[in-house]
Parts: sequence; structure tokens; C-alpha cells
Amino acid sequence: MSEFSFYKVWIIAKREYLERVKTRSFILATFATPVLMGVFLLLPALIGASTARNIMRESERARVVIASDNRALAELAVGELTRQRGTHYDSSVVSPTSPDQRAQLDRQLDAGEIEGYVWLDASALASRHVVFRTSHVGDFVVLRRLGDALSYAFAAQRMVKQGSSAGDVAATLEPVDLKAVRAGKSSSAYNEVRGAVVVFVMVFVMFFSLLSYGVMVMRSVMEEKSSRITEVLMCAASAQELMTGKILGTGSVGLTQIAIWFAMAAFGTHRSLYLQTALKVLDVGPSLIVYFVVFYILGYLLYSAIFAGIGAIFNTIDEAQQWNFVVILPLIAASAMILPVATSSDSATAVVASLFPFCSPILMFERLAVHDPPLWQLILSFVLLIGTICLVMFISGRIYRTGVLMYGKRPTLRELSRWLRYA
Amino acid sequence: MTPTVELLAVRKSYGGYAAVDGISFSIPPAHIFGLLGPNGAGKTSTIRMMIGITSPDSGAVRLFGEPLHRRVLHRVGYLPEERGLYRRMTVAANLVFLGQLAGLSVATAKERIASWTSRLGISDWVDRRVEELSKGMQQKIQFIAAQLHDPDLVVMDEPFAGLDPVNTMQLKDVLVGLRAAGKSILFSTHRMDQVEKLCDSICLINRGKAVLQGSLSEVKNGNGRRFVQIDYEGDGACLAGNPLIDSLNDYGNHAEIRLKPGADSQELLHAAMRTVRVIRFQVMDPSLEQIFIERIQNRDE
Repeated sequence: MSEFSFYKVWIIAKREYLERVKTRSFILATFATPVLMGVFLLLPALIGASTARNIMRESERARVVIASDNRALAELAVGELTRQRGTHYDSSVVSPTSPDQRAQLDRQLDAGEIEGYVWLDASALASRHVVFRTSHVGDFVVLRRLGDALSYAFAAQRMVKQGSSAGDVAATLEPVDLKAVRAGKSSSAYNEVRGAVVVFVMVFVMFFSLLSYGVMVMRSVMEEKSSRITEVLMCAASAQELMTGKILGTGSVGLTQIAIWFAMAAFGTHRSLYLQTALKVLDVGPSLIVYFVVFYILGYLLYSAIFAGIGAIFNTIDEAQQWNFVVILPLIAASAMILPVATSSDSATAVVASLFPFCSPILMFERLAVHDPPLWQLILSFVLLIGTICLVMFISGRIYRTGVLMYGKRPTLRELSRWLRYA
Repeated sequence: MTPTVELLAVRKSYGGYAAVDGISFSIPPAHIFGLLGPNGAGKTSTIRMMIGITSPDSGAVRLFGEPLHRRVLHRVGYLPEERGLYRRMTVAANLVFLGQLAGLSVATAKERIASWTSRLGISDWVDRRVEELSKGMQQKIQFIAAQLHDPDLVVMDEPFAGLDPVNTMQLKDVLVGLRAAGKSILFSTHRMDQVEKLCDSICLINRGKAVLQGSLSEVKNGNGRRFVQIDYEGDGACLAGNPLIDSLNDYGNHAEIRLKPGADSQELLHAAMRTVRVIRFQVMDPSLEQIFIERIQNRDE
């Protein structure tokens, strides 16, 4: 009984796919996950960065008041503040300072009419210890920009006193434009922070997706086994056809989900300026998406084959639990390596871990994302991974064939090895 | 004529325990065959080897004169002991899926599903999910699943388990109809009354071995007509000491007698006529159930 019918595989995979895609849990996971992920990623930005807030409500301008006895200095600072790119401060100057002024500013602050004010009295001017009174203490972007603007103002005023022209001052204090550019890539500018976020998101999606769809294959095998559907199916299709169909069908569900996520991310960044600024997913470039899909497919084939074998051995999820853990172990190890690999992607540990086939779908992908590994390592990881997949498929297929028809007590290791030897 | 099924000294053991220990039988076309035996006798293990789910350790299975091969299995319909359907899917979706796997087009499958469900009176249920159906109803669906590709051999593991009398009758009628259409049917059961009414031949297995097999009349004849009932007038006391009798239930003018093995019922009649006035003398067919119990108990002793 060795003829392998792709038509039957197709029928089996199609049923598996359609049944899974229709479930409420799939729809929920597909559409709720990006929303949740977005919230978790963007929440800090929402709370902390006034840039984000300002992009969101562009009509509203944060009012910042600079109160100073030195009017020229205050005006220089305000000028610099408004000159900064991407800021929308409606800044004004109050000069000279007086206790009455201060009381009035406090009232305005309480009433929410202003975002905050800087109090530059004589002692502050002398010591350069400046206080920014604000209702948003955590707003580090405003704080940094104010600091930059004030430093600029102090320096500019001193230069003017020393006889520099306005042009000289501007030229001298012109800030350095610093950008990180990814090594090995074309000269396109690369934003490290955004890039890292995207890579982490992709790596975690890979991790959870491999895990959840692998377990899904296992549950599905167990379900068919315990409801005796396998017996009926085995009359019409071979064990190989069944297992292949099941793995392909479930895997397509995973790919569908990931495709929807990519589409949502692309759509989101396209439509919303806010999302675009916070999470430039497509910054990663098409080649990384291709790598993602390839590594996802290979990783899925590896893990789903193992899980299919486990599903065939055991009758209930509980029984399978401890074995599950053994299988998940390399995945957990890989997830623990995500950060170290990100920071030093060419260290010996990172290289070895990313070549280890049970970790490579996650770690080699991550290395590709953060820094180009040598080609031979990439090829070697593919060879090792594909070789392991073939081996695991062979072993799992044999276990599956016997296991799905065995009920009752769970087999011993000796029995398992006998299943392997059945021709 | 080529037998539909041939089992030749089939043997299968699981972990040192011989579940099937050298069973042979053959089933001709248009024949209903009963595979009998107590629980755990090896019925299901035998059936699984017949349809290629497992392969025998030794011996051979031939279907339609060919060694067991996937190509041949297209002509077999199988009803497992426990229901094997996707609980979350509708009846129609289940049946179309199984029909497609058996090689039918969607259109043909739907046509046959419609005709079978109306024949079994469950047309209203095709769009329900399987989990909403009663056990008996699920069994009917499973039966239809085994018939969709119009198999020449139908193999059923305990098809009557869980069916009420009305549905049992219905299934019997369908099976008789299938036999009339030239199909062979094998089913396993531990309920003898069904076998007596339905089967052309049987194989009784116990502990993996065939203890009795053949056509129904062969089996009954082979097991002697050892049960006699006599209605009489007079003193029946003399019957008690008769050396032909193994056991006796005397009700005064009615006696139920079991003869010793090899005893001739005619001699008993002569003996009885000498002492009492015989009104009725009847040699009873042993019921299959009696044979079954006797055979199994003898082996176990």
C-alpha cells in the first residue's frame, strides 16, 4: 500500500484548513492579537512621547512658557524650540519674573491652559539648575527638547556677547545629524529602535506560531484517534496521506494567520501616520519577509511532525504533557537566546545556537534580521534543518502509522522502538 | 466463484499476546457472515486485518481474489465499532468528506447521501452537527458513510450495538437488500438472536481461535439435535433412570430432556412409548446461544 495520492492529501488538508479557519478561536486570535500587540507596543509611546500625542491631535499645541529675567535668552530658547523638527510648541516668553507672574502661571498650569513653564530667575541663570514645572513629569521628549533649547540659548547668548554674528552662532551650534546605518546593507538609513521592535515582534510571532500550530496538530491527531475517525479514514487513505494532509492543512491555517497579520501591519502603516511613526513594519524590507515565511514553514514542518508523532502515541493531552515539555524545551531555549543574539549576533554561542536545527527557525532568522550572517552559515543551517525535518518526518510517520490505532495504555519505549521497525 | 473474503491462517499478536491465533474462513459473494465471540475474543483485531488497517504477523488476507491492496479496499465499506465522525461538522459535511476520500465527486456523493438519508428516514438531520445527534442516529450516519461508494463488501463491527428494535429491523432489511444486490456482508456481534435470523454462515471465535464455523445449518446439525420435549400421559418416573438422558426437567406431563452426546432420540422415543402414552415428541434445534455458551464454557473449563 505504497501509492501516495496527492488528491487525498488535498482533500484531507482542505477539510482540516476549512474547519480550523472557521473556528471562533482562530478569528479571535487573528484579529485580536495585532490589536493587543499594538496596544502593548504603543502604550509606552502614548504615555511618554508628546510627539505621538501631537501627531494624534495636531490642532492642539502644547503651550510651554519660559519665564526669565533675561528676555533675550528666553527668546533664543523659544526660537530654537519652535525651530526643532516635528515639534508643535506654542511657546511664549514672560519677562521679567515676579512672584505674581509665578502665581499666575501656577494657576494656568492647574487649569490645564499650559503644559508647563520654565522658571529662570537670577539664581537659576547663574547656576544653570533649571526647573520645568509641568503636569506631565514623565514626558521625557519635552524635557529633552527643552533642555536642548536652553543649552542652545545659553551658548548662543555667550557667543553673541563675545562678538559672533547671528550666522556664526547658527553655524557653530548646528546640531550633528546622527543616524545608525545597518552594516552590510545598502546605504539606506536604518532606525535601530524601530528595527529592533519589528524584529522582536517577528521573532515572537514565529515562536508562538510554531508552538501553537504544532500543538494544534497534536490535538487534532488525538481527537481523531480518540473518536476513532482515524479507523474510518485509514480504510480510504494511508497513514502517510493522513499525516501529510493534516500537517499541510494546519500549517496553511498558520500561514493564513501570518499573512493576515502582515496585511494588517502594511495597511495600518499605510493608513495611519501614527502607526507609521510608531511601528514601521515594512521598514524590514521584502527579503526579511521572505526569510520569515521560509523559516516559518521549515520550523513548522519540523515541530508539527514531532507533535503529530506525540499525538499518535498518547490518548489524552494530559498524558502528552511531559513529552510536550521536552519538545518545547529547544523553543524555550531559543526564546531565551533572542536578546543575546540581538546584541551580539556573531558570537560563538549565537552561531552555534542558530545552526541547531530545533532553534534555527527562530535564531537564524533573527540573525538575518539584525545582521547578515556569513552565507555558509545560512546554507549550513538550511541543510541541517531540512535534514532534521526529513529524519523527524520519517520517524514520526512510522510512529503515527501504528500509534493512531493503539488505544488504552501508553506504549513503553521498547514498544515505540518496535513500531519504528515495522516495515 | 471467487470468494469475496479469504482469511488463511491469519495471526496477529500484540506485545506477546495472540489476539488472533490462526483464523481461516472465506465468504462467498451475496452472503451474510457473522463473526461471533465474547468480548475480547479477537473479533475487532480480525476485522482490522481484513480491511488493511493492520497487517497480520503471518497468514494471508485476500479480498476479491487479490492480496490485500489499497486498490482493492475501494470496494470495501467499513463501519467501526465506535462512531468515527467529526463531531463539530455537519452530517452532510462529514459524509461528503468521506465520500470524496473514497473517490466520489462531490455531486455523486451528495446524490447518494440524499438517497440513503431518505431511505433511513433521517433526511431532516443532514444539516445538523454530528454532536447534536443521538447515538443511534450517528450510527446510521456511520452506516451511510460505509455505503457511499457502493462497496461490494461491507464490514461492520458491532453494527447493532445501541440500536433500538425499530432501527434494528430497519438495518436488517437494508442488509438483506444488500445481499439481494449481490453484496457480501460481514459483521461481528455477541448477540446470537441477530445471527440466527440474518446470517448465512458464521465463525465463532474465542481467545483468538475459531472454535466453530460453517453455514448456519451445518453448525446446528454438527452440534447434534440433543434437546427433546415430550408431552405425555402416565407415570414419567421411568424416564429418570434412562441411560440416554443427560439431564431432565419433568413437569408431570411435560418433560424437557437433554440427551447424552451420541444418544439417538429415536431410542428414547421407543423407551418412552413402552411406559407412557406419548402425545407429542419433538427434537429441538439447539439455539445458537446454547451452542455458543456451551462451546465457550467447554474451552474455558
